[in-house]
Amino acid sequence: MIAAATGNDRRAGGYDPFAGGPPATHDFYFTRAAYSGYGWRGWHVDYPKADRQFLIGLRRLTNLDSYAMENGVLLTDPDLGRYPFLYAVEVGYMQMTEPEVVALRRYLQQGGFLVVDDFWGTREWVNFAHEMGRVLPGHPIEDIPLDHPLFRSFYRMDEIVQVPNVGQGIRGGPTWERDGYVPTVRGIFDDERRLMVLINWNTDLGDAWEWAEDPRYPLTYSTYAYEMGINFIIYAMTH
Amino acid sequence: MTRAIEWLFGSPPIAFARGEFDLLIPWTALFGAAAVAALLVWFGLGYRSAGGRARPVERLLLAGARAGVVTLALLCLLQPQLVLSVSVPQENVAAVLFDDSASMRIADAGDGSERRGDVLLDAFPVDATNDPDALGPRLEEKFVTRFFRFAGEAERVDSPRELSFGGARTDLAAALKRPLDELASLPLAGVVLLTDGAETVGGESGEALEEVLVELRAQGVRVFPVPLGSSGSGADVELGPPDLPARVLAGSLVEVRTRIRARGLAGRTARFEVLDEGRIVARETVRFDSDDEETSVAALASMDESGARRLRLRVAPLPGETTLQNNERTVLLLVEDRPAKLLYFEGQPRWELKFLRRAVEADEGLTVATLLRTAEGKFYRLGVSGPDELAGGFPDTREELFGYDAVILGSVEAAFFSQDQLNMLRDFVSQRGGGLLTLGGGRSYVEGGYRDTPIAEILPFTLGGEPNAVEATPERTPLRELRVSPTRAGASHPVVRLDPEPGQNADRYRGLPLLSSVNLTGSPKAGAITLLEGAGPDGASEPVLLFQRFGRGRVMSLTVQDLWLWQMDASVPVEDQTHETLWRRLLRWLAADAPRRVEAAVSSGRSLPGEPVRVRARVEDEHFLAVNSAEVEAVVTGPDGEFAPVRLSWTGERDGEYAGSFLPRVDGLHRIEVRAGGRDPETSEPLTAEAWAEAGAVDDEFFGAGTDRALLERIAGATGGAVFEPEDAADLVFDLSIAESGAAVVERRDLWNQPGVFLLFFGLLAVEWCGRWLRGMA
Repeated sequence: MIAAATGNDRRAGGYDPFAGGPPATHDFYFTRAAYSGYGWRGWHVDYPKADRQFLIGLRRLTNLDSYAMENGVLLTDPDLGRYPFLYAVEVGYMQMTEPEVVALRRYLQQGGFLVVDDFWGTREWVNFAHEMGRVLPGHPIEDIPLDHPLFRSFYRMDEIVQVPNVGQGIRGGPTWERDGYVPTVRGIFDDERRLMVLINWNTDLGDAWEWAEDPRYPLTYSTYAYEMGINFIIYAMTH
Repeated sequence: MTRAIEWLFGSPPIAFARGEFDLLIPWTALFGAAAVAALLVWFGLGYRSAGGRARPVERLLLAGARAGVVTLALLCLLQPQLVLSVSVPQENVAAVLFDDSASMRIADAGDGSERRGDVLLDAFPVDATNDPDALGPRLEEKFVTRFFRFAGEAERVDSPRELSFGGARTDLAAALKRPLDELASLPLAGVVLLTDGAETVGGESGEALEEVLVELRAQGVRVFPVPLGSSGSGADVELGPPDLPARVLAGSLVEVRTRIRARGLAGRTARFEVLDEGRIVARETVRFDSDDEETSVAALASMDESGARRLRLRVAPLPGETTLQNNERTVLLLVEDRPAKLLYFEGQPRWELKFLRRAVEADEGLTVATLLRTAEGKFYRLGVSGPDELAGGFPDTREELFGYDAVILGSVEAAFFSQDQLNMLRDFVSQRGGGLLTLGGGRSYVEGGYRDTPIAEILPFTLGGEPNAVEATPERTPLRELRVSPTRAGASHPVVRLDPEPGQNADRYRGLPLLSSVNLTGSPKAGAITLLEGAGPDGASEPVLLFQRFGRGRVMSLTVQDLWLWQMDASVPVEDQTHETLWRRLLRWLAADAPRRVEAAVSSGRSLPGEPVRVRARVEDEHFLAVNSAEVEAVVTGPDGEFAPVRLSWTGERDGEYAGSFLPRVDGLHRIEVRAGGRDPETSEPLTAEAWAEAGAVDDEFFGAGTDRALLERIAGATGGAVFEPEDAADLVFDLSIAESGAAVVERRDLWNQPGVFLLFFGLLAVEWCGRWLRGMA
C-alpha cells in the first residue's frame, strides 16, 4: 500500500501547532521532508520528538538562531525553498510521486541540502538509490571520506559510528539492523562538486536524538549523533 | 560704415581713433573762436527780429544752421589736419600666424559650408593679381611679411601653401611667442593671427598665454586676430570626455559615462555605442529635446578580457552634421585579472552566507575569505588562503585588516568588536579606501547596537529608532516583507541594472520574490545614493540598497536579510542567474576601486609623438600611510618590446606622490610598470602598479572646436590690436600701418578738402534755405 504525503499530515499525526507555518523570524528551521512512501514506516518516524530534542542541543551549543520546534513540509509545498535544509528518514520505503521528484530535483539544483538518515541494509538502499536516480539522474552516489570538510565544520569527527535504534541501544544488543553492518556516509554532488544530498546509511541518528534524555540510552551514541547533526547543519549553511 | 567714413573723410575710423588733430594755422584759432561767437550772437539777434511765421525754436535752429555754415568755412580756412604715425612701406615686418591644426578642416566658415582652412588660403592667393585687395597682397604691399604656421608649436614657412591643416593640437601661447623670439632684432609692426582660436592644450596654457600677452604689450606688438569658422551653426553632435574608472576587474560590468552636446537636432535620436576591438560591447539611445542641449549618457559594458583595452566611444553620424570627427573618442581601460580580496565576517550561521559564497565562488575576480562565528568564541574559517589567515578571528591590527580590498559585515552585534576594531573599520574605508558592505539581520544596525559607533558615522543612512538594544533580539523590530524595485539611480547603475531596457528592468524586479527586513532603517544621508528600495504592505517605501563615499572608500548597506530567496524561492527558475549576478557585481563594484599600496597613473592616456608622458605614482606603507622616501622606478615597455627605466621622484606637492616622465619613441601602447621597493606580504612579489599610455594620433582638435571669439577678442584687447572678420581682413593692413613701433614717418592728412566737409557745408546751407522758404522768411 502506498501512503501519499498530503497536506493533512504535514505535521506528524495531524499535529499542527503552528497552522499556517512557523513564524518567519528565524534564520534556521529544522525541516522534515514529508514524502510519499509505502508500508507503515514513513517520513514521520520519530517525529516530532527527535526534531525537538535535537533542536534543544543545536540552540544550546551553537549561536544559530533556530526555530525551536519541528517543521514538517511536503516536498511539493511551494514554500519548500524557504527551508534550504531538509531531513528525511526511512527512505528505504520512499516512493515519491512525479511532482515530488520534480520538486525535490528543483530544490536540490537551486541549492537546497538534503540529509538522509535511518535506513538499513541492501534492500532499503536499493530502493533509496532508485528514488535518487529519479531525482538526480546521472549523479552517482559517492562515499564521503573522513577528511571532507563536513567532518570539521563544527566538531572534529574522526570516525563513522554506527548508531543503533533505541531498543538495541538500551539492550546493548547488536548495533546493526538487517544486513546493514557497516555505517556509511555517502553523498551526491552537483556538477560543481557541491554536496547536495548527504546519506547516513546503516545508522539511526534520529533515535539517538529522540532518546537522548533516557538514561538507559548510551550517551556515547547521543553525543556522537548531536555532533554529526550540528556538523551537517553548519556545513549545509556554509557550503 | 567703415568704407563710408573713409570715402567721406579720406581715412578709416581707426585713423581718427589713433591719429591726432592739428590746425595748419594754429595761432588764428583764438581769433576764429571769437569770430564764431560774435556771428552766433549776430545771427541769433537777426533771426529774432526777422518776419515770417516761424516759431522761436525754429528761428533758433535756423540761426544755428547759418552759424554752422560760417563756422565750418572758418574752420576750413584754418586747414585742419589728421596727424598719423605711419609705418614706412617695406621697412617694417608683419608676422602672419597661420593655424595649421586639424580643426581648420571643419567646414563651417565663409557661407557656412567652406572649410576654415580654405577661407584662410583665400586671404593669401597664389597669384596676387587675381585678388589684389585680399589681405595677403595688401599686407605685402606695405610690409615685409614673415609667415609662421602653428598647431602644437610654431615654425616658419615661406608660403601658406605649405599648410596641411593636420596638426593635432592648438597652442596659441606657443604660436604668439615664436615671432617675438625669432623677429626680436627686426622692426616688428604687429602680428596677424588667422585661427579659429579653439585651443586644445589645457591646464598650464592659460598662464603661458597671459605671459606672452604681457610681453607683446610691453614691446608694442599688436595682434590682429582674424577668426575663422563659426562658434556654432549647423547640426552637430559632439561627444564629451569619457568618464569611467581607470581600471576594472576582468568579467565586470563597467559604466561608460559621457556627455553629448547636440546642436540643431531637436526631436532627433542618436545611437551611442562603445566598441572594444571593433566589437560593440554597449549601446544606448539618446533623444535630444532641444536645439542646443547637453545630455549625459551611460552605457554598461562587460569587460571580460584582461589587459589594456582600447575602447572607442561613438555616436552614429546623423544626417546633416557639420563635423563627424567629434562623434568619436578613444579611451584606455585597464582590465585586471588579479582577484579582489574580500573579508566576510558573519556573526551567526545564516543562509545569506551560504548563498553569497555560492554566488561568487566561480568568479575568478573575487576571493572571499569568510569568518563565521558558530558559537561564542568559536569561529569557522572558509576560503582562506592559508592556515594563518584569520587564525586569530576578526583582524585586530590595521596591517591585517587593510590587506583586504573590501569587508562584508553580516549579522554581528557592535559589542563583539573592540573600540579599536570599530575605529579600524572606519579607517579601513576613509584612509585605506576600502569598500564596506553591511548586511541586514537581527544583529545589524540599530538592532545590533551600532548607534553612536564609528560604523554609524560611515553608514549611508541614519540609524533611527529606539536607543541601542543591549542584546540582539530579532523580535525587537517587526519583520517587514518588501517588494524590491530599482530607484531612478539604480535603473542605470552597473550593480543593479538587470536589463538595459528600463521597462524590462522594472519587470525583472517585479517578478522576484518578496524579501524581508528586521532592521529599522532611517533616512539616507546627504550624498548617499539609493539603488534599490522596498515597498511594504502599507505601500511605504524604504531603502534596501544604498551607498555613499566616505573618505577614500565607499560604504554600501543592504537592509534586507534574505537576498538568498532570489535563488531558492520556488518562483525563481533554476537557471535564473539574478542572484549570482547581483552578488558578483556588487562585490566587484565594492572592491574594484580600493587603492593598492602602489598606484600609477599617466597625465594623459594618449599623447602625440614627441610629446612627453608624465607618470605619477602614489606609494603607501602597509598601514596605507603615504611614504615620501621610497625608491620608485617605472619600467616603460613600448609596443616594440623595448623597455626603458624611468626614475620617479617625490613631487613635494603631496605626501606619497612621485612623478617622472618619458618620451615615447614609437607610436602605440606603452606599458608602464611602477616599482616601489617593498614586497607583498602574502606573495612576496615586489609591489608594483601598472598604467598604460598610447602614443600616436590624437583627435582632440575636433572637440570644443567652435571658434573662440572671446579668446581672440581678449588677445586683441590685451595687445592693442583689433579683431577683423575674414571679409574685412584686408582693412587690418591700414590699422597695422599706424605704427606704435618699428620704422615710421609722420603723415599729415588734410581734412578741409574732403567730400564729407563739402557735403556738410551744403547740407547746412540747404537746411537754412529751405527753412526760410517754408516759413515765409525773407
